[in-house]
Amino acid sequence: MFTRRRVYSFVLAVALVALAEGWIFSNVRGEFRSIMSASRMRSVAVTMGAFPRRAEVAEIFAWLERVNRQDAQYRIAWIDGIPAAGEALPAAGDADLVRLYRDNASDPEFVKGFDNVAYEETYRGAEDRDVGGALRALIFAPAVDSPKGEGVLLFAFDLAEQRSFERLLVVLLGVVFCVAVLVLWQIQFSRDPIVGFAITGLFLMSLIFVAYPLFESVRLSFVQDGKLTLQIWRSILTSRGYQAALKGSIRLGFWTATFSTLTGFLFAFVCSRTSVRFRPFIAAMGTLPVISPPFSLTLSVILLLGNNGLLTRLLGITRFSIYGLHGLVLVQTMGMFPIAFLTLSGVLDGIDSTFEDAALNLSAGRWKTFTSITLPLVFPGLLSAWLLVFTNSLADFANPLILSGNFRVLSLESYLEVTGMNRLGHGAALSLLLLMPTLSAFLAQRFWVGRRSYVTVTGKPTGRITELTTPAVRFALLSLICLVVVFLLSLYGTIVAGCFVKNWGIDYSFSLANIGEALTRGRDALFDTVTLAAVATPLAGVVAMIAAMVIVRRTFHGKRLLEMLIMTPFALPGTLVGISYILAFNKPPLILVGTAAIIVINYAIRELPVGVEGGVASLRQIDPAIEEAATDLGADSATVFRTIVLPLVRPAFLSSLSYTFVRSMTAVSAVIFLISARWYHLTVLIYNFSENLRFGLASVLSTVLIVIVFGVFGLMRLLIRKNENLVRSIGA
Amino acid sequence: MHSKSVRLENITKVFRDPQSGQRVTAVDDVSFEIAPGELVTLLGPSGCGKTTVLRMLSGFEAPTSGRILIGELDVTDVPPNKRDTAMVFQSYGLFPHMNVFDNVAYGLKLRRVPRPALEEKVTRFLEMVGLSTLAKRPPSRLSGGQQQRVALVRSLIVEPAVLLLDEPLSNLDALLREQMRVEIRRLQRSLSTTAMYVTHDRVEAMSLSDRIIVMKAGKIVQIGTPGEIYRDPVDTFVAGFVGKVAFFPCTTRSIASGLCRVEVRGRNFDVPRWSEDLKDGDEAVVMCRPESLSLGAPGEGIEDGVVTTNVYLGNSVESWVKSDQGDVLVQIDNPDMKKIRKEGESVSLTFQPELAKVLVGFERLPKN
Repeated sequence: MFTRRRVYSFVLAVALVALAEGWIFSNVRGEFRSIMSASRMRSVAVTMGAFPRRAEVAEIFAWLERVNRQDAQYRIAWIDGIPAAGEALPAAGDADLVRLYRDNASDPEFVKGFDNVAYEETYRGAEDRDVGGALRALIFAPAVDSPKGEGVLLFAFDLAEQRSFERLLVVLLGVVFCVAVLVLWQIQFSRDPIVGFAITGLFLMSLIFVAYPLFESVRLSFVQDGKLTLQIWRSILTSRGYQAALKGSIRLGFWTATFSTLTGFLFAFVCSRTSVRFRPFIAAMGTLPVISPPFSLTLSVILLLGNNGLLTRLLGITRFSIYGLHGLVLVQTMGMFPIAFLTLSGVLDGIDSTFEDAALNLSAGRWKTFTSITLPLVFPGLLSAWLLVFTNSLADFANPLILSGNFRVLSLESYLEVTGMNRLGHGAALSLLLLMPTLSAFLAQRFWVGRRSYVTVTGKPTGRITELTTPAVRFALLSLICLVVVFLLSLYGTIVAGCFVKNWGIDYSFSLANIGEALTRGRDALFDTVTLAAVATPLAGVVAMIAAMVIVRRTFHGKRLLEMLIMTPFALPGTLVGISYILAFNKPPLILVGTAAIIVINYAIRELPVGVEGGVASLRQIDPAIEEAATDLGADSATVFRTIVLPLVRPAFLSSLSYTFVRSMTAVSAVIFLISARWYHLTVLIYNFSENLRFGLASVLSTVLIVIVFGVFGLMRLLIRKNENLVRSIGA
Repeated sequence: MHSKSVRLENITKVFRDPQSGQRVTAVDDVSFEIAPGELVTLLGPSGCGKTTVLRMLSGFEAPTSGRILIGELDVTDVPPNKRDTAMVFQSYGLFPHMNVFDNVAYGLKLRRVPRPALEEKVTRFLEMVGLSTLAKRPPSRLSGGQQQRVALVRSLIVEPAVLLLDEPLSNLDALLREQMRVEIRRLQRSLSTTAMYVTHDRVEAMSLSDRIIVMKAGKIVQIGTPGEIYRDPVDTFVAGFVGKVAFFPCTTRSIASGLCRVEVRGRNFDVPRWSEDLKDGDEAVVMCRPESLSLGAPGEGIEDGVVTTNVYLGNSVESWVKSDQGDVLVQIDNPDMKKIRKEGESVSLTFQPELAKVLVGFERLPKN
């Protein structure tokens, strides 16, 4: 690989790039300087024209002061007469400039300037001088018709703008140079440049959009007024309010996780251990809320149980407020028990029911069997489900935003710090604080509970299920499920009903006015939301599959690091991601805040882990010889990816696409920090409407969102079903 | 057809164990040449580095040092997709989302062959292996032998300079294996493609190859025609690996004029082949193939023993004799015309010196 010829041509190519960049740099800088200089000369000419002619000294003083007070790009001083070398004539104007003149009266540069002025010519100083603590460009101009007939106007121009432009240019060219060197390196020394580019690209992507923002938020939580300090952390850790928020988050997480796990277990148990007839329907109801947009459940809970809610009024409840912990636990449980249900039904299906048969056979009672066999086997699953819900509840932002009332939680607190008080450092620190319980729960789930699973893959079909419940118990369980399902359906029904009611809580007469108004006012946001999601979706999907291919099929240095970086956003609360992004990307070298790009990138980066996991799982089942055969027949890596890998992982690819699309459509927590007047998000609009008590409008938009989300999921299910033949044949 | 020669010069491949970081030399200074149109087999026990050699030849692994030439072209740094090689994989690597026709046509499509020519050629090649009626089937609905044929044709259709086969028959049952062996040989001959075949099955190697390269622990032990390797192995390892064999300890007496006189159990024999490392008076072994051994009355031969098992095969009988040298196999051809010793009978072993070889040293052999 490293033959002398290749090394030479690499060095030569790098040198050429460096030369070209040097040339571009000097040209662009020269051009910019001459433009700046010309514009300075123009301001000098304008100022010269405004110089009070044949005026009293006092009038000139007043004029000088006015000009200097304008806070323009330059300072000005006036010298009464044209000084000879070393001569200190009276001067006025900017004090720093006057001092500079006094100190440098015999400086050759100044002498030259005064000589030029004597011929009534404007002289551009050849070197920049320190005026008032910063380097400035000097210009000597004749002050025509001064009291003595002639005089000098000394200008000192601010160079900050020019400096920052040049710094930007250097950064830009530096980045281009680094990329060029990497590209040339791959071309010369890599057997497979395309994969080399892919790996380099993935590394750059995850460093810039995962590691850098996180680093910035950690760094800025230690910086206040430009100084390194522990002040922010001290104030956060000692403040009663923040402690209350931390406690609130954990209390909320605890109750939500507990109720969700119980509900999820109820559903899962009935679905996989009893012979109840409507099991498919129960399973569908158990998964339904997982794809329901944010705010939709909160909204309907408010419509039903809020201060002016339907039920509140009907039942005449007065001393009850849905806002606060109870309401949040209720809404989060409704929204998050599917996580527990999906986890637990996976676990229950995976545990061979012959264990239970054996226990029953040994004449253990049904209850005894349940407590001594089923429960211990499911226990790791229960713990895992509890931790998953706990993590989700802590990171949840949309529900507390509307429903928290006086109850404080961390995710909301960090949002208020940023948007309400503009204290980015505090916001970052708070969401980092939120990361601690989230991350530890996540890691505990992954590495501790995940390994103690009793799920067995026997490969034996377990068609028959032993009835573990008596009819009475079954009836009780079903009633409980019915209760949940009816409540869930009434929540969805309420949102739809909300669209057609004139003014919920006050006037329940039928009206279509809300629909018209909501669609008019929400049109732009809807368009933006769909556009951004549609851009992010293929991007995230393709990048996820490329990353999966690289992770599964290639060995390279830093693979573990890359994997970790890509997977990290999965464990991060959305508020932390949002705050990190505004911290990192509202300043050079990458100013992205306010653009569509930052929203798209945020979607792609946050949904990437799920896509990558799916891709990795399905690639692991595909014989590498298939790809090698294609390569061997002459296909380069890109062609192999396009014609072999992508078709083979199509189910994973499609579900990654639809997942990204739906999650992007329903995003709140991170995107609420990143939206701008130009790029708005539907969910934020729903929030705004709810805040202003325009529940009708919010209902309409929520319904639209629900329809879109369900439509996309339905479409994906249809597409994947067509593919099942293929999936089976890969395994063979 | 353009078949080309292949040359490997001092190829070494060192792997780094990703867990321990230890360096493992998989292939150690291997050099050989394959003539155009020749079929050469790499034979060796698993883990001897033969597949690594093949993967370096196809470009999937880069050698740590050394050069690979196809024809006159140095391809050491050429990636697999730009090499004029085609590989048949052990697991076939058929594209599950394409039918037989598209699988075979894949390489041609990449070479931008126009549609009519492509269809004609694919059909012709499918006919060659009798699969033209199955063109529209997905690979999952083919039998193992059919899948194997598709894989073979898919590689051959791009007319590679070198065809590489990585244990292509190991997933087939015995009968099918025999058929496919003939088929591969026929196709390779008729297209006169240069081919490199990797296997650990000595019967496959013997029956297919123009020449065999025997590898052991990353090194080449011997290169030769199947006959040479069988008759004239360089050491006890090769002798044992390419066929059943018995060794009898001996002492060399004199080596001269094309014969090596050895003493076995006090009796002298003149053996026409011997290891070049041997000097007069060395302790050595005589290598005997089963067909060069015969049984006599106890005390007559070079070694006494007891017949433990007789296996009747029709054209021969295999008698296993338990002796101090272990279990020795004696093959008796045309058994119906000869006296067969009964199981449990005491016998002695004699050998035909003109079919034997004197080899250095002795090492524990794999049981076969």
